[in-house]
Amino acid sequence: MIADLDELVTAAVTGLFSTMLHMQMAPVPVEPSVVNGEPHVAGAVGFIGRLTGVVYVHTTAAFARRLTATLLHLDDSKVQAEEMINDAMGEIANMLVGQIKSRLSDGGIRCVLTIPSVVRGSQFRIEATSSTEGRLFAFETQGKRIFVQFLFQPSGQTQN
Amino acid sequence: MGPKILTVDDSKTIRMLVARAFRPFACEVLEAADGVEGLTVAQRERPDIILLDLTMPIMDGVEMLTRLKADPDLRPIPVVMLTAESGRDTVLRIAKFGVRDYLVKPFKVELMVERVSRIIELKARNEVHPRVRRFGDALQILVVDDHPAIVEQIQASLAGTPWKVSGVSQTGQAVDSCGPTLPDIILISLSLPEGSGFALFQMFQSSVRTKAVPILALSVKTATEEQTRAQQLGFTGLVTKPIDSADLQLKITRALSLDTSHNYFQRRDHLLVLTLPANFNQLVANDICLHLRPKVCEAVDAGLSRLVLDLSQLKAADATLIKLGLQVIQLCAGLGIRYGLVGSAALGQECKNHEETRDWQFSSSFEEALAVLNGKTLTMA
Repeated sequence: MIADLDELVTAAVTGLFSTMLHMQMAPVPVEPSVVNGEPHVAGAVGFIGRLTGVVYVHTTAAFARRLTATLLHLDDSKVQAEEMINDAMGEIANMLVGQIKSRLSDGGIRCVLTIPSVVRGSQFRIEATSSTEGRLFAFETQGKRIFVQFLFQPSGQTQN
Repeated sequence: MGPKILTVDDSKTIRMLVARAFRPFACEVLEAADGVEGLTVAQRERPDIILLDLTMPIMDGVEMLTRLKADPDLRPIPVVMLTAESGRDTVLRIAKFGVRDYLVKPFKVELMVERVSRIIELKARNEVHPRVRRFGDALQILVVDDHPAIVEQIQASLAGTPWKVSGVSQTGQAVDSCGPTLPDIILISLSLPEGSGFALFQMFQSSVRTKAVPILALSVKTATEEQTRAQQLGFTGLVTKPIDSADLQLKITRALSLDTSHNYFQRRDHLLVLTLPANFNQLVANDICLHLRPKVCEAVDAGLSRLVLDLSQLKAADATLIKLGLQVIQLCAGLGIRYGLVGSAALGQECKNHEETRDWQFSSSFEEALAVLNGKTLTMA
């Protein structure tokens, strides 16, 4: 199932963005996820069980604002509060990971989700530790990118 | 106020989406951010339906559902799951609690409204508290016809109104046009390919969002078979092609129960002016008669004691005009108010040739009529 991760993530991202945001996201070649000083927002949801890990969905603060406005059918100018953007990014991560988790569970890899959390900053970098595997995916719509970073413990180390 | 819908979700984004989705309906949307708050609101407000998330802090959806179903007072409240978790095991586990439906995030808000409307009755806000709309309001009219010339004819026919006409040629485009903002009225051609006009009508009628929108059928005069079918299906009315401007305006006016009184009655210089339009005919006379007594009584109630009947746009006096004129005069006499007539010399001369209108005295302008009314009483014997 993990071997199908590319397909799972792509289906989840494109489905989520077309259904709720009317945006057509397309996978693009991955570049190093270095945040170059521009403010970024990352929504994160963890999963615990036969597969344990965390998924970050991150993008620039400006595009996160646009996503929030689109999701709530508001003008960009109406989305001022960071709390509103945080909540929307958390929910986007939740919906994305929920889809992946459901497919994993149906394939026998049972796990439960954590509640979403959000990271903000201009200089942060998401990296896997030595005991963790990481996969990074990038998607683009109209020149704007989002990154999905999937960190998980290799199967030998996951709970049973 | 209508039914109460409780959304229990730790995401404010989702709660806002739910609240927004049900805004067009006469209902109250209550919010709770976790299971504990959800149970408190449910006990206090007794909602008619609960939309419940699964993964939440403090108390998750499963625990809230367990407690809800264990409470004899709350157990009957239908619950619809709205969650990102759609794994087979999760769905089966939740189904055991007797939830009424299971919606998976990401979701289309239209689908959510549709599913909820299968469980509770939703009525459009304007269905419950219909706002009196005026003929002069900027109405949005959607025309579904695969012949652009018809759309253009309709636009031309309504050019004298503030109404905005938009046309689409396919049913899919029509559905898209009923997105965030609904049109005030829809005109559907019955001659769309493969009966798709009828299918579109039925789809709009079955949707809780669009069922209150009046729908007129567009049909060629001689196509009686499809007109009968449209009538049986419950179209609000029928507009025949080629388009007749007056007929079209009348059908739209009736379908939307528009207040047309402002087309004829105005207040000016402390008196009430009733202006008959150049296209005066029996239909217009009927329309004026509907408003005549209420508008005159309203004016008297507001302290006005004079009326001007402006016939300056009319070229000839026919039976319809004479009948309406006599009705106005009789009403003024009954209410004890003075009136004046404005019209051309030719019209005045023509009126002298009729027994009923022989005594009608015309002024050539509003100002002259006003001067006469200020100077002397013209009430007929």
